[in-house]
Amino acid sequence: MRNDTVVSTARLTKAATGGYRVRDLNLRVGEGEIYGFLGPNGAGKSTTLKMLLGLAKPTSGQITIFGQELAKHRQPILSRIGSLIESPSYYGHLTGLENMRVMQRLRGVAAKQISEALRTVRLEQHQHKRVDHYSLGMKQRLGIAMALLASPKLLILDEPTNGLDPAGIGEIRELIKSLPGRYGMTVLLSSHLLSEIEQIATSVGIIHHGELLFQGSMEELRAMGRPQLSIKTEHLNAAYRLLQSKGIFPEIRNGRLYIKLLSDDLAAGLNRMLVENGFPVIRLEEHGRSLEELFLELTGGERSL
Amino acid sequence: MMKLLGLEAYKLRRKRILLMLLLFMGAELAWMFLSMSIYMARHGDSAPWENLLVLAASLNGLFMPILCAVVVSRLCDMEHKGNTWSLLAAASVKSSSLYLAKFICANLLLLLYTVLQAAALAVFGIVNRLDGPPPVALLAALVGGTTLTQLAVTAAQLWLSTRLPNQSFALCLGMLGGFAGMTAGFFPAAIRRILPWAYYTELSPIKTVYDSGSVIYELQTAGVALPAVVLLMAIIIYLAGSRHASRQEY
Repeated sequence: MRNDTVVSTARLTKAATGGYRVRDLNLRVGEGEIYGFLGPNGAGKSTTLKMLLGLAKPTSGQITIFGQELAKHRQPILSRIGSLIESPSYYGHLTGLENMRVMQRLRGVAAKQISEALRTVRLEQHQHKRVDHYSLGMKQRLGIAMALLASPKLLILDEPTNGLDPAGIGEIRELIKSLPGRYGMTVLLSSHLLSEIEQIATSVGIIHHGELLFQGSMEELRAMGRPQLSIKTEHLNAAYRLLQSKGIFPEIRNGRLYIKLLSDDLAAGLNRMLVENGFPVIRLEEHGRSLEELFLELTGGERSL
Repeated sequence: MMKLLGLEAYKLRRKRILLMLLLFMGAELAWMFLSMSIYMARHGDSAPWENLLVLAASLNGLFMPILCAVVVSRLCDMEHKGNTWSLLAAASVKSSSLYLAKFICANLLLLLYTVLQAAALAVFGIVNRLDGPPPVALLAALVGGTTLTQLAVTAAQLWLSTRLPNQSFALCLGMLGGFAGMTAGFFPAAIRRILPWAYYTELSPIKTVYDSGSVIYELQTAGVALPAVVLLMAIIIYLAGSRHASRQEY
C-alpha cells in the first residue's frame, strides 16, 4: 500500500435541520487502498460520498481529491472519478450497450473501452437487452461498468451490494477486490455490513451519527479486538500499581485488569506473583472481542449489521 | 453543448417521440381541414388563406401547450425514472448545460412540428385552391410567432418537469395551458399579456374582427413590443428554472 493521499477532508460538515448529517469529518484515503466506509443506516455515509462527488454542498470544511480542492477544480477532479451512488442509475428504455454509449460519449473515451468494461463485470452476454429487463444484480454490475468506463483513478461505490443475493454479493466483492491490482485504482466504498467491509477493505473508517469514530487499517482495527488476559482480583488499584512496578502496564475496564495476551507460562507466573503479593485472583480469563463486538461498542450498540 | 444535444437525441430512442408528434399533427390538421372544408361548403368553395391561418393559430393555442408538456415530460421523465440526474452530475455534466440541452432539444422538436404544419397548410391551400397564392410571409409569421411563444411555454414546462418527478403535474399544466391558449381571446388584454399561452393567438399574423355580425380577417402586425414581452418572459422563466436546477442537491 502506498501512502499518497487520494482523498482527504478537513472538518467536513453538513448541517441538517436541528442537527448534523456529518460533522467535522477528517477522512484520509490512501492511493491503492480499498477504503471501507462503515456505519449503520443513517450514519452519514451517503451524504459524505455525495459531498465528495459534488452532489451535495458541504456546510463547512474542505475536500481535497488528487491534491486539488474539490470546490475549485470540480470538473477535472470528477473526470477522474467513477461512481455508483445509492441505487444504480440507468436509462431503462435503452439497452446495456446504449447506456454505456451515453457514458462513453459523455466521458469522451474510446468506444473499445465499452467492451472491456462490460467484460470486466461479465455483462457482455446481456448488452443488447433493455436495462428495464435486467435483474437488480445486472443493473448493479452495469452501474459499476459505467463507473469503470473511463478508467478512473478513484472509484466511489455507495453500498454496491445492496439488495443482491449471496452469489451476487460474492461476485461484486471479488470484482472490487481485483480493481486496485488490475487497474491501479483506489476504491472508496460504503456499507453498513461489517462482514462485507472485513472481506474487501484494506482500510476502514467507522462513522456514526455523522462523526468518524475510527479510521485506520483493517489490521489496526483487528488489533483492537485481539484477545487479552482479563484478571479479576480484590484490591484492583493496588494490584494495578504492583503490575506497573513490574513493568506491566494493564488497562482497567469494567472492574478488571486487561493485559496483552501472554503465553501460558507467563500467565501462570503472573497469577503466582499476584497471589504471593496478597492479591487473590478470582478469575483469570482470555478475553477477545470480535470485530462485530468492537463495532457495536464503537457505535453504542446500534444494530444495523 | 453539441455533445449534450446529441445525447439528448440519442436518449430519446424507443421513446416514439416522432410518432407522437405525427399523431398530434394528424389530429390538429384533421380538425383544421375539416373546419375549412365545412367553411368552403358553406361559402361555395371560396375561402381565404386568412381563415386557415386564424384557425391554425387558434388550434395551436389548444394543441401546442399539451404537446410541449408531453415532449418536455419525456425528456425529463427518463432522467427521473433512472435516477440519472446524479449520474450525469457525478460525470461532471453541469446542471445548467444539461438544462439548456433539454430546452433546445424540446424546442427543436416543436419547431420541426411547426414547420411541417405550415408546409401541410400550404399543401392543403394549394390543393383546395384557396383564394390567391400561398401567403409565404404569413405562414412564416405563423411559424415565428408560434416558436417564440413556444420558448416561454417550454421554459415553464421544463422548470416543472425537472422539479417534480411525477410528470402528471407537468401534464396538468399543459392542459391548463391548452385551455388558456384556446380561450385567450376572451380574457382582458391585461391578463392576456401575462399568460404565455395567450401569445399563440396574440402573435398570429391574422386576427378576426366581428363587425355587424360578419367576420373580417385583418392583418395583425406583431410589432416589437409583444414579441419582446414573450421573449423576456421566456428568458426570465428559463433562468429561474435553470438556477433552480443548478442549486439542486442529489
